[in-house]
Amino acid sequence: MNLSAPSMLSDVVSETLVRHINTACARIAPTWPLDQFIAVNPYWGWLNQPIEAVGGALGSLAGSRLMLPRSWFQAEWAAGRLTHAHLCAAAEHAGLPHEDEGEGAAQADALVRELVVVLEDVRVAEPESKRLPLVTDLRDAVAPPRPGLSWAELVTHQVSQHCAAYFDEQQAAWGMDPEAGLYGTWRQQLVLDHGLPWQKGRADLVAQVSELPTDARASIASSLAGLRVDPQGQQAYLSAVLLSIGGWAAWCAYLRWQARLGTTEAADDDHIEQLLAIRLAWEWLLYHDAPMDSVPGTWAAQWLLADHAAAALASTQRIDWLLQHALEIAEQQRVIARLMQSAAQGRDGNARPAVQALFCIDVRSEVFRRALEAADAGVRTRGFAGFFGLPIAYQPLGGALTRPQLPGLLAPALKVTETAMASDGIPLASALAIRRQGTLQWRERWAAFKSAPSSGFSFVESLGLLYGGKLLGSSLASDAAPRRWEDTGLPPRAAVVLRPTLPGADSDAQAAGALAHGILRAIGLVDNFAPLVLLAGHGSQSANNPHAAGLECGACGGQSGEVNARVLADLLNRPPVRAEVAALGIDIPADTHFLPALHNTTTDDVLLFDVDAVPANLAQALQALTLSLAAAGAAARAERATNLGLGALVSNAAALHQAVRERANDWSQVRPEWGLAGNASFIVAPRARTKNIDLAGRSFLHDYDHRLDPANTVLTLIMTAPMVVTNWINLQYHASTVDNRRYGSGNKLLHNVVGGHIGVFEGNGGDLRIGLPLQSLHDGECLRHTPLRLSVYIEAPHAAIESVMVGHAGVRDLVNNRWLHLFCIDPKSGLVSHYWRGAWREWGQSSPSSVELPIAVAPASLHSEVLSR
Amino acid sequence: MSFLVSPVSTLPLWHAALVLAPALVLGLAAALVGRGRALPLSVAVSVNAAWRTARGAATAGVALALAALVLVALGQQGAGFGQRADPLGATVMLLVAFVGWVIVRYSQRYLQGERQELHYVRWLLATLATVFLVVATNNVLVLALAWMGTSLALHHLLVFFKERPAAVMAAHKKFIVARLADLCMAGAVLLLYLAFGTLSMDAMFRVATALPQWPMSAHAAVLLLALAALLKCAQLPFHGWLIQVMEAPTPVSALLHAGIVNLGGFVLIRFAPLVSQVPSAQVLLVVVGTTTAVLASLVMTTRISVKVMLAWSTCAQMGFMLMQCGLGAWEMALLHLLAHSLYKAHAFLSAGGVVQRSMVAQMTAVQQPGSWGTTLLGMVAGTGMVLAAGGAWSALLPAAVASPALWVLAGIVALALVPLVNGRALALGGWRLPALAAGAFAVAFAYFGLHVLFSAWLRVPMQAPITALWVLVALAFVGLFALQTQIVVAPRSPVIQTLYPWFYGGLFLDEKFNGIAFRLWPPGQPTAPPVVHAIPVPVSSTRNLPIVSGVSA
Repeated sequence: MNLSAPSMLSDVVSETLVRHINTACARIAPTWPLDQFIAVNPYWGWLNQPIEAVGGALGSLAGSRLMLPRSWFQAEWAAGRLTHAHLCAAAEHAGLPHEDEGEGAAQADALVRELVVVLEDVRVAEPESKRLPLVTDLRDAVAPPRPGLSWAELVTHQVSQHCAAYFDEQQAAWGMDPEAGLYGTWRQQLVLDHGLPWQKGRADLVAQVSELPTDARASIASSLAGLRVDPQGQQAYLSAVLLSIGGWAAWCAYLRWQARLGTTEAADDDHIEQLLAIRLAWEWLLYHDAPMDSVPGTWAAQWLLADHAAAALASTQRIDWLLQHALEIAEQQRVIARLMQSAAQGRDGNARPAVQALFCIDVRSEVFRRALEAADAGVRTRGFAGFFGLPIAYQPLGGALTRPQLPGLLAPALKVTETAMASDGIPLASALAIRRQGTLQWRERWAAFKSAPSSGFSFVESLGLLYGGKLLGSSLASDAAPRRWEDTGLPPRAAVVLRPTLPGADSDAQAAGALAHGILRAIGLVDNFAPLVLLAGHGSQSANNPHAAGLECGACGGQSGEVNARVLADLLNRPPVRAEVAALGIDIPADTHFLPALHNTTTDDVLLFDVDAVPANLAQALQALTLSLAAAGAAARAERATNLGLGALVSNAAALHQAVRERANDWSQVRPEWGLAGNASFIVAPRARTKNIDLAGRSFLHDYDHRLDPANTVLTLIMTAPMVVTNWINLQYHASTVDNRRYGSGNKLLHNVVGGHIGVFEGNGGDLRIGLPLQSLHDGECLRHTPLRLSVYIEAPHAAIESVMVGHAGVRDLVNNRWLHLFCIDPKSGLVSHYWRGAWREWGQSSPSSVELPIAVAPASLHSEVLSR
Repeated sequence: MSFLVSPVSTLPLWHAALVLAPALVLGLAAALVGRGRALPLSVAVSVNAAWRTARGAATAGVALALAALVLVALGQQGAGFGQRADPLGATVMLLVAFVGWVIVRYSQRYLQGERQELHYVRWLLATLATVFLVVATNNVLVLALAWMGTSLALHHLLVFFKERPAAVMAAHKKFIVARLADLCMAGAVLLLYLAFGTLSMDAMFRVATALPQWPMSAHAAVLLLALAALLKCAQLPFHGWLIQVMEAPTPVSALLHAGIVNLGGFVLIRFAPLVSQVPSAQVLLVVVGTTTAVLASLVMTTRISVKVMLAWSTCAQMGFMLMQCGLGAWEMALLHLLAHSLYKAHAFLSAGGVVQRSMVAQMTAVQQPGSWGTTLLGMVAGTGMVLAAGGAWSALLPAAVASPALWVLAGIVALALVPLVNGRALALGGWRLPALAAGAFAVAFAYFGLHVLFSAWLRVPMQAPITALWVLVALAFVGLFALQTQIVVAPRSPVIQTLYPWFYGGLFLDEKFNGIAFRLWPPGQPTAPPVVHAIPVPVSSTRNLPIVSGVSA
């Protein structure tokens, strides 16, 4: 009877199969843990294919859709934010290039008519994207395992709970022995599970599981053989199986990513293959346990046709991509119109500025920089990635934790920790480190007393009443300044004397100088230094928020940018380092001082660090800057107030400030700030290009002067690092919005943190949830993030941009497969051209300008609604 | 055996009204919030106005409960007009009012922008009102009905996300268990009336004390009462719903764990004069309570998500409280009820902060696990602390700590202190070792102090428990402690690894319960297809709520 016992067949894993396994695993993008929650492009593994084809593939393999439903486009059309002109422009793009102009125009007209029909007929729904059925789906179609519970959910739950127990290091005090690996422990535990409803009984299951090979890859081969999936269909099937447990697959992909970056001891990590083996074994077990006729004989053959299914779906989605592009064109027209308008205003003169202020490229900086320039004409601002080019990890003094302070694409090379010198030359830092270690251990004992099984009862009776005070305290509004958890265990005054420093800043001035020189070149800060240069990192402030790190500086690995700003300022203020930098060609005047700061994006307060090191002759400039920063903060808060539902307080700066600070400390606030919602463009140009125009906090701004970069080194850096990172952010928001179920983390009201920091479940269980919560995208009435692919505007010659593309396949994929839009701003004329299907296309004449609509996403009706509540 | 019964005096009407007032205020507010939908032409009730109403009512509830407590403290106690004013009722009333106030404030911002906000406000207020009624009433029948009302009102909050199959499932399971408990309560009310001829608690307790010999029906009634408490307190194997209602918004979990699940303990303390006369009920409470406390606390340590860990912790803590009731340690049960509520409400509401706490934990260097030697040293030290603290209190108040039940509980405290004062603590340098010792002593001292305080406040004397019961409890906790130590000392040992899958699977009790319960009473389907997490589109700004524009804040 048992014809296809899998282990009887073959233990040899063919090379083809290894390739299929690798492909399936490579399609999963990593997810970082909650304490380093940086944005990731969840489509990262698909970039080498056109976005439209990926839409078809993910639709047929996972049931996912890459754009919002048609009803949403219909609403945009009805509201007038999507117009006939936009449709024409999109249709025109779709037709290019065309031999015969007349024929092309006729086709475009027909296409526009088709689009209008789709937009005006409310009965037109989007083409259904349902995944090709897995065995779990087939079983569910016949009968669920229990009333109200499907096989798909049960399997996800079992695998997910097992992964959580295996990977958890923080939450559970009593865990399994992980010796046998993820797949091995799953084999051991599954036969001990007495709660699963098997058709053929538990004894049969035990027999089946014990026959599964102990090696994960061999198990994959054996399950595939048992399921009789032809090698031709295996790649699609394995991808679909892995995507069905996409959350944990992303976690495993993160482990692999770290191993391949070289941040772990192991050179590679195969947990993702083990996860695939587990989920695939479930398919086999359910297939084996299936009642007669619940798995049709043709099922295995469907995987041979998976590519056709994907292509068919992609062709029906052609309309949807045109609509998506039309909306993007609408936004591009607004931004380009503003860029043109600003170009007329000319550039800054060469006079020495009073203050230079460097901010992160983050879209939230745009609002603040504009406000600061308006508050103080003597301040020149610049944009650069907020880790300031420092390849560092940070270890809080005396702590056992080291965390990266740089983008997830890179591995840290240096470890920064705090140093301090008491006035009499005693190394204070080591004394503080020992003291902190003691305090931390003391706290750990109390934690053990609270949580041990036999202690919890007495703990509650002796000390539980004290929590009444905590409840009261947390319920009352507080405008207290944020406290860094990194200072835990340090005496209150210690934080003042401690200063994070680069290792070797003292001892190896040559290396430190080379690093500093490289950073200044990349920033473009090479001459005309102001007396005071502000280096402003940014951080966020929220309470009781599992996704807090997602609001911090992504370029700093989901942490506050404080450490990077302080380390760089310290480095650049050292005379020996300056001497080395001067030897390499950048002359920093002796009277220039670098001042580190932190822009709190929740409250728009700016905190200055190490002010005691500012020379006395700059005291007045410092005072003036402090006032300007305060004024800029007030203006930025006023600009953001309406979107936070605080529009009523715009006219009362003090009350608004108070309200925003209370919001940041509120333990019940699920929308402390809007983060990077609304991001839509990345502008790489001198500040003069964007100065005095309102980009509504939707643009990443990176300073770049091509005249300083004849060899395109800096441009290459920008297009391979910040452009990729901004694209990650943009597509994270995009994916979380269009498919929150697979690429977003659902409702914060149900979030349940797994393993202390690994991720969240929504409710009791289910798959690990990745991406952004609904509350980061939606205010309950409207979407706050409009999913638009990133438009990148680079002020540089065509040839320079092209040369970077030629040298970097990854950049080519991003552009040519339409994961972003690439524009060139001509440095001389200021004219904009669009790189489309392998050629530059002048922007302008044919495209109608429509600047009458506000850039802000929120429709006007929303504001009145919020005000009336 | 004589039993002090209080209160005995009759309440004046105004005082009875004060006791009932929080229930009335919250109930009225719930009705007001609900009217907006039915009468769109009359007073337009926007979401904001609903929350203002709720906050006002919750604040009034705290003020009224505080006033009632002060009166009781001043000696104004008694029963009348169907209400009771006594230390137990006044304390629990204030607890519920305070927790309710915290949760209403929290929910207002937490739920902002959710669909069905009005629905939530209404049923939150209604749930709180029924709890107030349970606490205030002097009538057994009203108590049973109000308690049932709590469960029915809460049901609306548990299925707040009614499109989620898991939410519907857990709520259905809760519904089954709650109706079983209601059946027990109905039986208990009927039998009590047959036995004592009254539904009034003060009269019933007087009759019961006077009767030399109780009829069988009275014993059966108290046994049913204990059974109802076990069911409502989510004791094994009826615990599954409590673990799975994480499918409701966080503040609902906080409300459930802090203000509702513990009502079983409240009702038992209310009926202490009767329960203390029925050994079979005590045996039931101690056996089920201890078993749950021991097993659930072990399961808790295997949980990998914060909210589910907290839920298992509640399950265990409720077991401990019921065990204390069975041992006759009433004042400790009340202390446990209060302290656990405050602790657990805070733990749930601040569950999102676990990530930051885990970062601090990651900063702490991993230490060598302890050994049996260090643990034994800790047991000696812990016992020393408890003896010293108990001795100090005995010197202050000679009769303070004289009961076998209390000594068993004190022994549990001694074991509890081991993680603080075990041999590894010797490694701590400088001031920290003495500080830790002082902290451990303070815990033990506070324990006895609270015992003295709550004895004086509750004035239900601790009685001598059945010997076999306290021996059983002592053995169970020694066993728990031994297993816990073995898990820490030798986590990879065969015994521990053999036990792990059982505890990780929650002993598979819930699956068995599901199998039986759902066969008898299958759950309904969720009200929407399970495309649940999609962003609500189109994004027109209409919401399904009766907002009338023009009513500005």
